[in-house]
Amino acid sequence: MAQISFKLNGVAKTVTVDSPETPLLWVLRDQLGLTGTKYGCGIEVCGACTVLINGEPEKSCDASIGEVAGKSVMTIEALKTDPLGARLQAAWLEHQVPQCGFCQSGMLMAAFGRLKAGESRASTASSLSNICQCGTFQRMKEAILGLPGVA
Amino acid sequence: MSAKRTTDTMVLDRRSFLGGAAAAVLMPVTLGFAAGRADAAAAVGAYIRIDASNTVTLITGQTEMGQGIGSGLAQIMAEELMLDWAQVRFEHAPVNPALYGLPGWGLQLTGGSTSTMMWYAPLRSASAIAAWRLRAAAALTFGGLVEQWTLVAGGNVKHASYGVKTFASVLGKVASTPVPGSAPFAGTKRIVGQRVRRIDLAAKVDGSAKFGMDVMLPGMVFASVVHCPALTGTVKSCPTRASGALAVVNLGNAVGVVASNTWNAMRIASTLQSKITWTLPANPALLDSGSLASAAQALQAAATPANLKVFETAGSPDGKTGTIDATYIAPFLAHACMEVMNATVSVTKTNGAVTLVELWLPTQGQSFVPGTVRSVPGLANLADAQIKVNSMLCGGGFGRKIEQDYVLQAVKLALTVGKPVKLTWSRPQDFKNDKYRPYASMRVRLGGDANGIGGLVYRNVSASISFQQGANPEDTGAVAGAVKLPYAIANRRIEFAPLPTAIPLGYWRSVGESYNTFAIESAIDELALALNQDPIDYRLRMLGADPRASRVLQTLKASPRYTGMAAAKRGAAFLKGFNSYVALALEIAPDNGSRIRVTKAHYVIDCGLVINPDAVEAQMQGGLAHGLYSALYNRVTFANGVPQVQNFSNYRVLTARDMPQVTVDIIEGDPTTTMPGGVGETGVPCVAPALANAYHRLSGTRVRELPFYPGATMSED
Repeated sequence: MAQISFKLNGVAKTVTVDSPETPLLWVLRDQLGLTGTKYGCGIEVCGACTVLINGEPEKSCDASIGEVAGKSVMTIEALKTDPLGARLQAAWLEHQVPQCGFCQSGMLMAAFGRLKAGESRASTASSLSNICQCGTFQRMKEAILGLPGVA
Repeated sequence: MSAKRTTDTMVLDRRSFLGGAAAAVLMPVTLGFAAGRADAAAAVGAYIRIDASNTVTLITGQTEMGQGIGSGLAQIMAEELMLDWAQVRFEHAPVNPALYGLPGWGLQLTGGSTSTMMWYAPLRSASAIAAWRLRAAAALTFGGLVEQWTLVAGGNVKHASYGVKTFASVLGKVASTPVPGSAPFAGTKRIVGQRVRRIDLAAKVDGSAKFGMDVMLPGMVFASVVHCPALTGTVKSCPTRASGALAVVNLGNAVGVVASNTWNAMRIASTLQSKITWTLPANPALLDSGSLASAAQALQAAATPANLKVFETAGSPDGKTGTIDATYIAPFLAHACMEVMNATVSVTKTNGAVTLVELWLPTQGQSFVPGTVRSVPGLANLADAQIKVNSMLCGGGFGRKIEQDYVLQAVKLALTVGKPVKLTWSRPQDFKNDKYRPYASMRVRLGGDANGIGGLVYRNVSASISFQQGANPEDTGAVAGAVKLPYAIANRRIEFAPLPTAIPLGYWRSVGESYNTFAIESAIDELALALNQDPIDYRLRMLGADPRASRVLQTLKASPRYTGMAAAKRGAAFLKGFNSYVALALEIAPDNGSRIRVTKAHYVIDCGLVINPDAVEAQMQGGLAHGLYSALYNRVTFANGVPQVQNFSNYRVLTARDMPQVTVDIIEGDPTTTMPGGVGETGVPCVAPALANAYHRLSGTRVRELPFYPGATMSED
């Protein structure tokens, strides 16, 4: 058993886990009930589990809860609290991006993290490595490229 | 589907109406049927729920898995009730095939692009009848005659003397109104045919959408499984406990591990593999892709293979097929849904006896779930009411979630553990225990002249799904895309020779067309080139008797999207299938040294009456992506039953970089005469042949075996 403290979506959080090796993904989903972050591959390829850790997009399937101690984590559930995040979500709806929707949390968090850090819309839209088996890439690109007020 | 069952259900709902809160009314409407099916025993119903806030919810048996079916069907309802789109919702129905099964099939499942085409007419009639009953209820509530009450947009009715009233205000009298056999349609096209925003999207951008994998129950424990490395192997012996596990359960075809979280369950299951002994499949050659390829080759060479079935024959093709003799190969494929197989089950016992099994599932196959539950020892006698299925959103389905393997495992686990269990397969277990898209070998012999095909002999040798299941050894699905071709071919013979295999097979988006269209549309391209004919003009010469087919190809040919593609890098293909017509042209360019990428793709589709053009475009974009990564990169091979696939790392799929701009022209059918055709699968079949045809122009090389780049990995670029 270990106790880990970190900041989750702006709020201080302490969790008790069996092992500090437990991936953040499964603490979020199974322990904290934040199921917006998805399991897709478990090997950092698909991007469905993407969250922000200290502002950086990270695959939460490979970030242990121990590594997260003292850091700040942002999940899809808090995206709307950031003005850029809310605009990104609105653009996603405007372009009707999601199909099944399963990969979209990770897609949004990856795009948001990059745009928030100042990466251009064009670079973000063309180089996101997230997998979407429904093939929503074209609309994802259109939604990002059409974002107002972003470089 | 007995008359009694239908009647009972109606009575049940009437009771729940009488006993329920006045605010929420479950409104029964009887669906109309096509002429000849007025038999009450076959009648099914849809339910429209109107609540106190005048929100109107369609309760549908069709599963939302990204294709937009919940919204599309709700549009049909909203049109006839003249609703504002903002007041419309949909939700998944409980399992009750008599009520919610596909009209025509009687099965509650989602597949074959059938949902809209089968539900459009009955749902439209039912919604119109519901509108009439609301008007009648207004007359009973406020006075006047039903004819004096008219529907007003926004979920209201209006009377010259009594004014505008909401649907919600007349619900108390709905049950007292008669059910007319038919009712007039609103016919305003306010909502049908419009690009309304899909209802499920808002929850899909803020993380609140609930997929099967997201179900959380009080006291829940988490499970995962490990299957035999060789397909169809079973557990001979396994440990009864493991460090860190709450339980280790022999599931017959796998070992389940229950733990405090999913990661622990997956991790422990993975380490258990070395401690389990398996009964291996008896005949590994039937589970070996190399052996199967050789067997298919022999069946192609044989004059009369075992169980040969001639599906279509006309004229005398022999002696008229001398121009092309080519064999095309399509591999076994995985479904690779983003959401892995998972199921959550809670078992309730009363005095030691099971009285309720409740399931939360991502499923396309609701009809089969009660049978799956009852197949578990001790549960055979459960009544329908003791099996409650909650259909969750599917994170992709593509046919995989019709299957019941993961459902069965979760029921066994919950029964054993005595707590609610959420079973989640690991991604490697998901890839390695799929119900794979069949391998198919397709030999095409073709001859003809500039006016068209003189003779066609086609033989599909494939590991047939229904042949394996023993249900329908003739398997029309295996030759779908090769029979009922739109082209005028006077002399033809279409054969099917089943390839014996033990590899578990399943339906994969676009089914038979996913491989037969590759062979047919590649071979026609080969023939046109051999005869120095333009491949589009050549097809058009054989489509004179099919005006919808001709119009789609003519529209493609005239489109600036098509003429704007460089002819030396362009390929096209055509599909008549799923009651729709689709033409695709794409342009390719060399990429990354020896490979290619698609730079442009343009679809022309006539899918009859269009419910939502935006959804049609989305399905074409998605179909292009699905067809493209499959054709370029994907195959699953088997070494003595062991699938040679691990994860997305060695099963390459598309990312944003490789997605071309996809444009779509929709030819809308005459709404007075045309019914909706299928959409969800129609974007896929043309991709592989169009790609092969373009690649031949670019390189001079004809690709007849898919994928283009076997062994591709995700990390190559």
